Amino acid sequence: MASLIREWVGINTFASATQTKLLELLGKLKQENVNTLTILVMGKGGVGKSSTVNSIIGERAVSVNPFQSEAPTPFMVSRSRAGFTLNIIDTPGLIEGGYINDRALEIIKRFLLNKTIDVLLYVDRLDAYRVDNLDRQVVKAITDSFGKGIWNRAVVVLTHAQLSPPDGLPYEDFCFKRSGALLKVVRLGAGLKRRNKQDFALPVVLVENSGRCNKNENDEKVLPNGTAWIPDLVKTITEVVSNGSKSIFVDKKLIEGPNPNERGKLLIPLIFALQYFFVVKPIERAIGDDIEKESRPSWDN
Amino acid sequence: MQSLAAPTHLHSTPLPSRRKLLSPTPRRSLQCHSLLSSSSSSSSSSSTPKPEPLKSTFVPLFKTIAASSAAALLLHVRSISLDFGSGGGSGGFGGGGGGGGDGHGGDGGSFWRKLFAPAVANADEPQSQEWDSHGLPANIVVQLNKLSSFKKYKLSEILFFDRRRWTTVGTEDSFFEMVSLRPGGIYNKAQLQKELETLATCGMFEKVDMEGKTNPDGTIGVTISFTESTWQSADRFRCINVGLMPQSKPIEMDADMTDKEKMEYYRSLEKDYKRRIERAKPCLLPIPVHREILQMLRDQGKVSARLLQRIRDRVQKWYFDEGYACAQVVNFGNLNTKEVVCEVVEGDITETNIQFLDKLGNVVEGNTQVAVVIREMPRQLRPGNVFNIEAGKQALRNINALGLFSNIEVNPRPDEKKEGGIIVEIKLKELDQKTAEVATEWSIVPGRGGRPTLASLQPGGTVTFEHRNINGLNRSINGSVTTSNFLNPQDDLAFKLEYVHPYLDGVFDPLNRTLRVSCFNSRKLSPVFTGGPGVDEVPPIWVDRAGVKANITENFTRQSKFTYGLVMEEITTRNESSTICPNGQRVLPNGGISADGPPTTLSGTGIDQMAFLQANITRDNTKFLNGAIVGSRNVFQVDQGLGIGSKFPFFNRHQLTLTRFFQLREVEEGAGQPPPPVLVLHGHYGGCVGDLPSYDAFTLGGPYSVRGYNMGEIGAARNILELAAEIRIPVKGTHVYAFAEHGNDLGTSKDVKGNPTEVYRRLGHGSSYGVGAKLGLVRAEYAVDHNSGTGAFFFRFGERF
Repeated sequence: MASLIREWVGINTFASATQTKLLELLGKLKQENVNTLTILVMGKGGVGKSSTVNSIIGERAVSVNPFQSEAPTPFMVSRSRAGFTLNIIDTPGLIEGGYINDRALEIIKRFLLNKTIDVLLYVDRLDAYRVDNLDRQVVKAITDSFGKGIWNRAVVVLTHAQLSPPDGLPYEDFCFKRSGALLKVVRLGAGLKRRNKQDFALPVVLVENSGRCNKNENDEKVLPNGTAWIPDLVKTITEVVSNGSKSIFVDKKLIEGPNPNERGKLLIPLIFALQYFFVVKPIERAIGDDIEKESRPSWDN
Repeated sequence: MQSLAAPTHLHSTPLPSRRKLLSPTPRRSLQCHSLLSSSSSSSSSSSTPKPEPLKSTFVPLFKTIAASSAAALLLHVRSISLDFGSGGGSGGFGGGGGGGGDGHGGDGGSFWRKLFAPAVANADEPQSQEWDSHGLPANIVVQLNKLSSFKKYKLSEILFFDRRRWTTVGTEDSFFEMVSLRPGGIYNKAQLQKELETLATCGMFEKVDMEGKTNPDGTIGVTISFTESTWQSADRFRCINVGLMPQSKPIEMDADMTDKEKMEYYRSLEKDYKRRIERAKPCLLPIPVHREILQMLRDQGKVSARLLQRIRDRVQKWYFDEGYACAQVVNFGNLNTKEVVCEVVEGDITETNIQFLDKLGNVVEGNTQVAVVIREMPRQLRPGNVFNIEAGKQALRNINALGLFSNIEVNPRPDEKKEGGIIVEIKLKELDQKTAEVATEWSIVPGRGGRPTLASLQPGGTVTFEHRNINGLNRSINGSVTTSNFLNPQDDLAFKLEYVHPYLDGVFDPLNRTLRVSCFNSRKLSPVFTGGPGVDEVPPIWVDRAGVKANITENFTRQSKFTYGLVMEEITTRNESSTICPNGQRVLPNGGISADGPPTTLSGTGIDQMAFLQANITRDNTKFLNGAIVGSRNVFQVDQGLGIGSKFPFFNRHQLTLTRFFQLREVEEGAGQPPPPVLVLHGHYGGCVGDLPSYDAFTLGGPYSVRGYNMGEIGAARNILELAAEIRIPVKGTHVYAFAEHGNDLGTSKDVKGNPTEVYRRLGHGSSYGVGAKLGLVRAEYAVDHNSGTGAFFFRFGERF
């Protein structure tokens, strides 16, 4: 682990109102005996994963390079404050050249080995108007890697939230549509069934990482709809943590999946016997029938 | 006091031309046997049917086989020639016509031969010599006996005149073939008389006469006027096989016998014949043909010579059509009763004789055990059965399939010791037991700098050897070694050594099991490590297998069989540069190559050893119908791992293939007939439970999987399903076809370690459709790959199904 657990000093850079809210939320978590929180941030490349991490920590913990994909290894930032440890794992983008970058995924999985993921932040942009197959693939890759259960602990984060919607659409409507479309893809990609909708009520949080983000009278960063998004994000995270679902512990089995070579191995003797009696024997009988039915020359009786 | 009675027995032989073609049938002395009674009887003397000059000269030439009811005979004769009433009056009298005859059979035989082989007969005549003019006024009718004995007459024409119908019959009449005289031929009086005599005695004619008509140019035209023999109408027909029955030896009849003695004599003959009929084997003639002949008898009313000829032809035709090439109708007996008895020599096999010949054709003691040959012979060819040419051909094919002989002859030969019997003679020339072959080739490979150098000259080639027919039991050892570089053979040495041991349960056991033990190696490009569409250049993986295999094959039919055995092999996976690699390579998005792709082996080292049981059962009842395959084929194969080998591989890998060839239209079977359109439906399921190394994963795509894709282009999975349909329409001796195929990994690509399907960006399922034409051995087809939507032309060898 590259980073030592450092004091969370970045929190001091937030507006005091934000600080208060955050500490309040953390205090609440502590009451619930949650002393560590590990957040995994995943998503396509260039959607603002690293920026979001930096925004939450309140310092430039991860280098952000807007034009190039970040270092192809995940990076964990750990900060502690008053006995509470916050781990945020930033990951490289999963998409490379129009395909899922298996290698990146593999590295992420290895990195996460023996760690517990409390919350997954699935990051995408608010100002992307369309969803496509790629989104679905990303979701699917995440699901395949960590199991469906991870979506119980997931928060969909939409970055670049400070925008004026096209065609004069009201901001709320636009956000609703965009998040609805994305959620649909997530559900599809994760293979979540409709009846599970309640179980997987994915919260959506809007985020604006830009320094030009509007601020309210308390100097908090706010969205066009007036919400202070950092407290909102942390609040949603704490809600997810306390929604009763289990954290995902990443072990070897989870990474490699169940060993398909072991599946059904005990049944092999039975299968072999069934094959003998229900495939080989019937075919043998059919051959016997063929021999009897065979049209022979009249002389061969 | 002599009367001419109608013949009761008609003997004939098959046409010689046919005989030559089919088989050297026994030249039995099968003759035209007509039974002409030379006896006198009180009743017949009163009747005096048409006195003939011939009558006085008549000698009963023929050996008769049987007698018939003489009383009925006479009755009938008279009913034709005289009034019916008088015939009725003498009806009870057992005189006359029954089986007279003696032992001068030889002449008759020659007659029949002449009769059916006019060319032979004519060859006897001095044709080159000039002929004599008749020296008589033109256009007068001359009796035969008025002709000069010293002249050679040239015949301008031969006319047949049927007295009963009062018409001249044409050459198409069945009687015409009985005359050996030919227009334009030159004959002297004796020959003509002989001809007449033979015609008169053959039994076909009640009365026959010959007269000449002089022509102005010195030739004469001959008119043969005849009255066809007829007998009482019959309503029953019986066919018997008299093949191996001894010829009855008629007792010489004493001319001084009293009427009573004669009656006794005829009765005894009659009794003998009845006994003969009873003792005779029933013949093979089936009921439908029987019925057909009965119908002929019924339609005809009276039994006439022509009818008997037709019956003979019909019966013989059936025999020849069925392949009983040695069968011949030799006699009609029991005429003038209600029942016509057709006597057939069917050609019973008395002996099977297997001979081995050396290169010069001398009979030698062969190396091959006779039982090996015998078991290939159809039962029909064994002693006690009737010889059949098709069975002979079958034997030829079967023996040829043994691959032990360079020349095989199956000949039916008349049995000299047992008249009417056939000896099946099989003459075999054995192949050399040991053969060895060396084929060499030099190849020049580009050396450094792309230029061939002397050092890059590589001697390569193949050494094969075979030791066949060990112990005369068709056991064999064969082996081959192939390399492209004998100087450095470890690079690509391919070898195979196989021992084949047929008749595992003994050469006399009908169970046909063959043991095969072989050592082998092989090198194949793995279709598992192949890129999907749009992925160029996946570094190839070679899969080398070397091992020992022992299996037992049980042949149920020519095509259906069950094989089971043990395979022990070592699998080595290598990359392009022939170094052992434990993982497949993959191209990174940035263009680099990483060697951490899907594992190639179970052990993870690049080398696996394993032992497993392998069983394969094939049910194949397909057959060619005018060149198109119809029927069905099912194959089930299972590889059962035993937990012996690297990482103790324990698995059950199975595949089931079902293929049906539906005939879409009924067609007549036969040469030259068009083949039917055929619909082919094909399904293939493959699955594996337990340890599955990537080289044993099922791959989808390729000319024998899903056409239109490259080998493995669709994916490599643990379970697969392939479905295909093809319709074949015959066109001008070949066929065109349209097909649609689908392959699916059933979502089990991820169950192969390392998921090579996904790593190499394959979809895991795919369909294709296309059309094609069969051009000899090559299939030319245009197939559209549904995943990318593009089509391409392919040329493939062999059949997809």
